[in-house]
Amino acid sequence: MTDTNTSSGRSWRSTALYAVLVLLVVFYLLPLWTGLMTSIKADVLATAPFLPPAPAGFTNIHWTRAINALAGGLVNSLILAIPATILSALLGSMAAYGLTTLDWRHQVPILMLFIAGIFIPYQAVLIPLSKFWASVVPVSDLVGYVGLAGWVGDLIGLILSHVAYGIPICTLLFRTYYKDFNGEMIEAARIDGATTHTIYRRIILPLSVPMFAVTLIYQFTQVWNDLLFALVLVGPGAGAPVTVPLSQLGASLSEVGFGIRMAGAFVAALPTIIVYVLFGDQFAEGVST
Amino acid sequence: MARLELDDITKHFDDDGETIVAVDDASIDIDDGEFLVLVGPSGCGKSTTLRMIAGLETITEGELRIGGRRVNEAKPRDRDIAMVFQSYALYPHMTVRENMSFGLEESTDLSEAEITERVESATDTMGISDLLDRKPSELSGGQQQRVALGRAIVREPEVFLMDEPLSNLDAKLRAQMRTELQRLQEDLDTTTVYVTHDQTEAMTMGDRIAILNDGILQQVATPLEAYHAPANQFVAGFIGEPSMNFFDVDLEGDSVVGDGLDYPVSDDVRAKLDTDALVLGIRPQDIELVDAVESGHDVAVTVDVVEPMGDENNVYLTFSDTAGNETFIANVDGRTLVDEGDDIVARIPEEAVHFFDRRSGEALRNREFDGDADVDLSL
Repeated sequence: MTDTNTSSGRSWRSTALYAVLVLLVVFYLLPLWTGLMTSIKADVLATAPFLPPAPAGFTNIHWTRAINALAGGLVNSLILAIPATILSALLGSMAAYGLTTLDWRHQVPILMLFIAGIFIPYQAVLIPLSKFWASVVPVSDLVGYVGLAGWVGDLIGLILSHVAYGIPICTLLFRTYYKDFNGEMIEAARIDGATTHTIYRRIILPLSVPMFAVTLIYQFTQVWNDLLFALVLVGPGAGAPVTVPLSQLGASLSEVGFGIRMAGAFVAALPTIIVYVLFGDQFAEGVST
Repeated sequence: MARLELDDITKHFDDDGETIVAVDDASIDIDDGEFLVLVGPSGCGKSTTLRMIAGLETITEGELRIGGRRVNEAKPRDRDIAMVFQSYALYPHMTVRENMSFGLEESTDLSEAEITERVESATDTMGISDLLDRKPSELSGGQQQRVALGRAIVREPEVFLMDEPLSNLDAKLRAQMRTELQRLQEDLDTTTVYVTHDQTEAMTMGDRIAILNDGILQQVATPLEAYHAPANQFVAGFIGEPSMNFFDVDLEGDSVVGDGLDYPVSDDVRAKLDTDALVLGIRPQDIELVDAVESGHDVAVTVDVVEPMGDENNVYLTFSDTAGNETFIANVDGRTLVDEGDDIVARIPEEAVHFFDRRSGEALRNREFDGDADVDLSL
């Protein structure tokens, strides 16, 4: 009797668990599903937003238009996000190594500066930053000397701005990770003859892979999705990252282009999803430590 | 191989403006090929001393010489030492082979073939040749320990430094590794400094042991000297298991008198006692249990607790004459049958009695022991 009771209790509980999980899946997927359905309907207002179109009402026109409009922006965004992500993760890891594993005076005030950097709002630095790249270090003019177009310079400025903005949070993430490293292991390496540099290259860096997955995903998404810096430092035009044309997609006086906007949103979001899938396993390992 | 000299080594730590003396004026000369054990309770400065020799801590005062060369300012890599850590400190992302080659790659110009050869000969010595391609996480504690030792011997350093290397092993494996380590050290004949808080390791492994307490070196001596002729009360209490029994006594005429104890002393012994406030020490192994009081050295006692260990019994005793329940221990043969509550007599032989100055702790009279002669130590 007892056995039946517990097993029926267990099955009731697992049913409830699965019901909740299914509800959560529906909750999270509904907006995506609705967006996807909207993007393949010829007349978006014909049926309820989450219902699929009738066979006659199916179209891929929104997708082709969105891809055409965003193709250049996608390339620019990749040129922007890949180096910005790798640089901030790498520099963050180096800074964390210097601030955590090595021992020297006045580490704490410097660490405080890094932490403070996390909390500076984008809006507060917009104008000084655009002035900086326009007059103090006019990158768009400087690249002209090597025969590159001005927008390349703007993009370089944007990359460096994102790197600078990303270093504090990356440093903090790596620091938390490095603090749990076995101090005796680093000392063993010192006695084995490794220098500060080789300890980083041969011990710290290979052990940082899970944390690199975390920072790469986080930082890539952050840089990829940014519109404010992109709009102010580069603006619409040849160098615009994908968020800039995306914001202008489907805007007209006569109607709101829901279909093309939804298709555009999917196109623009695709790379971040790919990054999540690629680094997902390591990400899970990184956040669980 | 080299001689290692610590010359008035002192270490101060700065803690919020306050200076903490971790090691105070320690001087030890360790001979070429000698196995020295640094032993003491937690926080006595033994690890700090070892880390100063390794170059992981700076030396506040004094001079450290390896092979006659001053190395105070030398980086760890330039001291020609290898260290084994308590946590083994293996590199988790490297295989056993990579762990062991790392030091050779970083600190020598050996060719790849020479490195391979040395690593393989070291793994042969340690009996871990079949583990070369495994990662540390795939090894048991004992195997990791062997890799850590292998990583040290492959370097062929002048000095081995070991920081409680056996304390993470279970008791059986620890005893086995203890013997193996001793044999290894004898074969390699490399100067070794071994830190432990375990007095059994200290007694069994060291050519000499250095006992530290509160940052101050108490005594450097062979294990038997430290056991039979301790320099002070701390060493007497620290070395030996179970610990030496101590009784506060005062010299009154021909006897020393304490709580429950009136112990006559011979003239020879009395001549050595230059103060009245004394501590009488007697090892549990030296106390005999007898049936009747025959001399002044016999005391009526009551058995409090008996701890049978198989080959021997630890018998906790209290003086029958006093109300106090202060206990002391006698260590007797396992076949001696006594029960709790029994009234018996403890014989404290005068030749085995130690006397210490109660204020300074300094040993005034140690048991009769001639360290150079072949004496029967099974007293």
